Amino acid sequence: MSSFSRSAQQWATFARSWFVIDARMQPPGKIATMCAIRLQGKHKPIYHALSDCGDHVVVMNTRHIALSGNKWEQKIYSSHTGYPGGFKQVTAAQLHHKDPQALVRLAVYGMLPKNLLRRTMMQRLHLFAEGELPEEIVRNLTEELPQPRIIPRALPEYTQEERDAFPRLWTPPEDFRLK
Amino acid sequence: MTGRGTPSRFLQSVLQNGVGRYVCQLKRISLIFSKNAQSSLGARNFIEEGVVDFAKKNPGTVVYISPEPCRIPRIVAEYLNGTVKEEAITSKTSQQISELVTKLTDQSGLDIIRIRKPYHTDSPSIQGQWHPFTNRPPAAGVIRPPSDETSA
Repeated sequence: MSSFSRSAQQWATFARSWFVIDARMQPPGKIATMCAIRLQGKHKPIYHALSDCGDHVVVMNTRHIALSGNKWEQKIYSSHTGYPGGFKQVTAAQLHHKDPQALVRLAVYGMLPKNLLRRTMMQRLHLFAEGELPEEIVRNLTEELPQPRIIPRALPEYTQEERDAFPRLWTPPEDFRLK
Repeated sequence: MTGRGTPSRFLQSVLQNGVGRYVCQLKRISLIFSKNAQSSLGARNFIEEGVVDFAKKNPGTVVYISPEPCRIPRIVAEYLNGTVKEEAITSKTSQQISELVTKLTDQSGLDIIRIRKPYHTDSPSIQGQWHPFTNRPPAAGVIRPPSDETSA
């Protein structure tokens, strides 16, 4: 038997953890996959569909997510206001400019099961456009999840020594004219 | 037929009874019998033999013995949660009544209906139930201080 009493053991088993993910330079779909699993509680061995054992997930830096390909211009988010002629279509870039949390929220919402618990699970998702979190949320955090994508380094982040040491196919002659 | 129509509940205990100390949930037990009727013979024997011992053994339970002219002697058990259970003891022997009283004493007063998820083990886990920090290395998922996050 463990060191604490049985009622405390029961509370510990069904306690809600708070996860934090840094979404900087991450694809929103991969972030949403990690969120959806934890919001449903599917990462727990005690998972049951009726138990409502999901955890809280905090996603920060949603303004700095990355989309691959031409998705910022090509991906279309459609909605309908309900009025005649109320069909709205905006590109991902327009929607992201209007609401920097919308892309991640819509991705997670689409990955959750379509049942009555979906709105409850969405309430346990906390999105922040920037990296600063409120104090009352920072106090709750238990674990930081690893980022799903390795962020490639940009050229300004390399030092001059590293740039000089980069292997070259050929050394241009002194009088070589760049076109 | 364990369909949706039958009433059901989850396995529970009254006020987490037994976690700290055990509290007998039987509040009051009344034995109603007749002084003359043949069907109350066992009840009268039980009153002579067993009822004082039972009352001494269970100081938390009030025992009433009420003789009244009746054909069907019965035991009325009242529990701390308000449940009232009535059991007929017609033509039962003293031994059978004693067993019945013991059963009523041990019960919690919760409805005896189908239990959902009736999982049970005779060999409970030694390491205890799972909780979010089971088998998790302390180095996993360390939260970076916010100063690093803003600079990164």
